[in-house]
Amino acid sequence: MSGALLAVALRQAASPGRLGLILLLALLPLGIAVILRVAAGGEDVIEVALDLLVIGLFLPISVMTVATTAFGNEVEDRTLGLLTTKPAPRAYIVLVKLGATLAITAPLSAGVAVVVTLLGDGESAARTAVAAGVGAALGALAYASIFTWAGLVTSRALGFGLAYVLLWEALMVSLIDGARFLSVRNYAKSIMQGLEDGSLDVFTQTPIELPIALAGIAIVTVVFTYLTVRRLNRMDVP
Amino acid sequence: MSEQAAPVIQINGLSKWYGSVVAVNDVSLEIYPGVTGILGPNGAGKTTLLHMMTGLAAPSEGEVRVLGQEVRGNPQLYRRIGVMSEHDALYPFMSGKEFVALAAKLQGVKSEAAVDQAVEDVGLTEAKDRKVGGYSRGMRQRIRLAATIVHDPEVLVLDEPLNGADPRQRIHFGELVREYAAGGKTVLISSHILEEVESLAGQILLMVSGKLAAAGNYRTIREKLDERPFKVRVVASNQREMAAALLANGVVESVSLEDDAIDVLTGNIGEFQTTVARLAQETGSRLYRVEPLDDSLESVFTYVVQG
Repeated sequence: MSGALLAVALRQAASPGRLGLILLLALLPLGIAVILRVAAGGEDVIEVALDLLVIGLFLPISVMTVATTAFGNEVEDRTLGLLTTKPAPRAYIVLVKLGATLAITAPLSAGVAVVVTLLGDGESAARTAVAAGVGAALGALAYASIFTWAGLVTSRALGFGLAYVLLWEALMVSLIDGARFLSVRNYAKSIMQGLEDGSLDVFTQTPIELPIALAGIAIVTVVFTYLTVRRLNRMDVP
Repeated sequence: MSEQAAPVIQINGLSKWYGSVVAVNDVSLEIYPGVTGILGPNGAGKTTLLHMMTGLAAPSEGEVRVLGQEVRGNPQLYRRIGVMSEHDALYPFMSGKEFVALAAKLQGVKSEAAVDQAVEDVGLTEAKDRKVGGYSRGMRQRIRLAATIVHDPEVLVLDEPLNGADPRQRIHFGELVREYAAGGKTVLISSHILEEVESLAGQILLMVSGKLAAAGNYRTIREKLDERPFKVRVVASNQREMAAALLANGVVESVSLEDDAIDVLTGNIGEFQTTVARLAQETGSRLYRVEPLDDSLESVFTYVVQG
């Protein structure tokens, strides 16, 4: 059963239009990183291309584009009933949907983060790139759980996602003292910094300890996955 | 059907409300093997009732048991139930066969022969490799039916399954359902058209305004409908003479003269139809229009409820 459900979820998640949009979005940090590399020898690549454009923009937006449709499209197309009238626990359906989202967004986010980091001027480029890739992939995990839940609870999940990314992650976290402990973006950056040896110290946000950042990712993922399962169990399927 | 046997579906005091809107109101019923039709006008609560029967919606009050078990939150029960919703829900990027195969896999059916058989049962073998996105409405209904029966469920719940079907497909569907029920299985079909379930359902449940208005076989329901008085508007020249002739003839129960029409109430619509033309001729009137005023399903069902 798992293969069949996963295959459908992957096929839905990786629609040509959606993939094209994400790849187009990926060109922005990659292009800026290349320009900075050519024009300034890689200076500011980490600050501008990795911090601002990959972690701040590409990572949440690309995950949001895929994750909000995992259930959102099923609700809109009235196909959710096809899945929920089958002998599969709803937790299982949620995990498969989450897995399909991650199968697409985690490698993409990690890949873009790695390439951008390699275009920087850090001395331990390989180690830093791996750290950036791991941080981006774990960030994708937390974002995917949040946006998958949003896609199930509201028909305006994209609006919710944009408000969350732009208002909370980009604005409020920098304004409210202590809010950095409640930011997926900051978890991802702190994991990157915790796994490398100083090249990423240019990140503007004050990092948090690696174990706390890892715990943050785990807590967000577990809590929002639980909320999604609970919602799918309790909702009236249209 | 055996009344002594345990009911396949048992509903006790079932209600569902959304805010202040009551969709299903205190419905209790039992369904046994064979074909049962749930009949009612649009908005009567049929789909909400079916959703609660199939675990898709949670009751606000009351209880549903299918095959002796709670259906809500019991996914393993779906191995024994086939559910086809009223929505045209398909994955358009799949071929017909892929769609049925997906349903089979999700139901744990490994046999490809079962998939081919289900596709053949609905008469789509030749079109099975085409994308369902390109199917006609009738074909989409049939491929969804194939996906619903591929695991050979004991209980089949079909919400408005004949939407978009042409007469030939309706006959084929009827044969399929009768064959299915003949094997001792339970088939539940909802429809807002009485004639649609006439030849299929041994038992008919009438839903009106969220309530179970009547239950019985087709003949009982039909007799009740035939007994009801019909309101008919007659537009003719010489209105007063026509009205007097209709009253004198006794074919109508009452007559009211409107500005440019006569509204009559008749208890025998068949006789009225043949009499009105003759009376027009006899009174030298010219008939412009004869039209039913309340032939909507709502009025029919309302009559049955009040009757």
